[in-house]
Amino acid sequence: MPDKFASFNIAKQKAEKTLLIGGILALLGLIVVLLVSPATADVETAQILGGIVIGIGAIVAMVGGGMFAKINRTFKNDILIGVMKELMPETTYQPDAGLDPYTVYQTECLKRADRFRSEDLITGTLEDVKFRTSDVVLEERHVQHTKNGTHVYYVAYFTGRIFEFTFNKEFDGYLQVLESGSPMSSRPFKKVAMESIDFNKKFRTFSTNDLSAFYVLTPDIMERMMKLEQENPGRISFSFTGAVLYIAINNNKNTFELRLFKKIDESMIEEFKTDFLVIKDIITSLKLNQKIFKNS
Amino acid sequence: MNTGLIVLFVVLGLLVLIALWYISTMNRLRQVDLKVQEAESGIDVALTKRFDTLTKLLETTKGYAKHESETLQNVIKWRNGIPQNATLKDKEEFLGQLNTVASGISVVVEKYPDLKADTVFKELQVAVMNTEEHLQAARRLYNANVTQLNTIIVTFPQSIVANAIHMEKRSYFEAEEKKRQDVEFKF
Repeated sequence: MPDKFASFNIAKQKAEKTLLIGGILALLGLIVVLLVSPATADVETAQILGGIVIGIGAIVAMVGGGMFAKINRTFKNDILIGVMKELMPETTYQPDAGLDPYTVYQTECLKRADRFRSEDLITGTLEDVKFRTSDVVLEERHVQHTKNGTHVYYVAYFTGRIFEFTFNKEFDGYLQVLESGSPMSSRPFKKVAMESIDFNKKFRTFSTNDLSAFYVLTPDIMERMMKLEQENPGRISFSFTGAVLYIAINNNKNTFELRLFKKIDESMIEEFKTDFLVIKDIITSLKLNQKIFKNS
Repeated sequence: MNTGLIVLFVVLGLLVLIALWYISTMNRLRQVDLKVQEAESGIDVALTKRFDTLTKLLETTKGYAKHESETLQNVIKWRNGIPQNATLKDKEEFLGQLNTVASGISVVVEKYPDLKADTVFKELQVAVMNTEEHLQAARRLYNANVTQLNTIIVTFPQSIVANAIHMEKRSYFEAEEKKRQDVEFKF
């Protein structure tokens, strides 16, 4: 594998160099435009020259960005798919696919986005628990009216991973355990106070049926959910809907991506492995493979 | 404005505030009490489910171990389920008996490998486990609501309202885990 890393690292360095050159050119062009004094005789020529340099820099940077994106895609297909298969043979990793918006909104704890993106889909069965997970970015459209015209821009309010675990057993009612906010649903959710003060401090529990909340959230599960929250930085939400458990981790992280100016080596692969193994962690730590969550 | 009139308005205002607080506290107490009652009926449902499933399990056991099955059946006080007028203590006792039967069946099954392999028996065993989970959830929900109610009742000044409407502290539903572990069977 190190040989394969070497060819990726060479290509990556080339892309990074191109990106860097583009960036420097654009910066130089900007300096020329900004520093040229109005008193200078040839202001227009200097500004045109600066503009051209910015343009060339932007084009070079775009070419570098494109090269980097291509390497990233190839790396996922050639290396990461294999790593994933080795770790969890009964799973499939599709870098270019993602969860569909319908599935994401089924969580009923995330509001509808104006712009939706999803990639790095992993599907499969682990310890008899069927699952799907992918990176998801949800963005909200903002419009700003200024004297120079209307400016439209998008702000991401969710960047992270969404997990879907399917069980053979139906839950009675709907249950959501959220670190913040309220359910995004018209169902008659009521706030439930669990007996654990620590759990109530950390999470807000909403359910359409009090008894179901206590049935699913056993003292042990509550403790494990708190541990899972500690191990995964960001805002975590759990949503039990029908026979499905959704977990949304809003951690502002785009998993399984190569990083600029960071060499591809075994330590990076280990990091990716840890990200893959989060699925297994959730299944075992929440005991999704045991007792009440599994069909007889 | 006349000073006496101002004092009168202030006193009236205070009285209205006190009345509003009294009504809202009373309503809160009644609502939590209702939640406790609902949770208690949840315990009844879970107990009935456990009783029915265990009865079916005993019937299946009878085919393999008639004497043991009948001995265990005699442990249960109410053969027709929970009576209407049963108190919380009665229900605790009933739960203890059901748990004794469940533990007894586990002992019997070890002696009869054929029974252990019986498909219906295995399915019922899972169902019994399921009823235990439901019962635990019902018990925890009941106890959480009782804690909420008792906290209001003992907290001043809400305790004044609780006394006025004769609302008393409720008892917790205990599972008697220790007793269950000590059970011994001699068939």
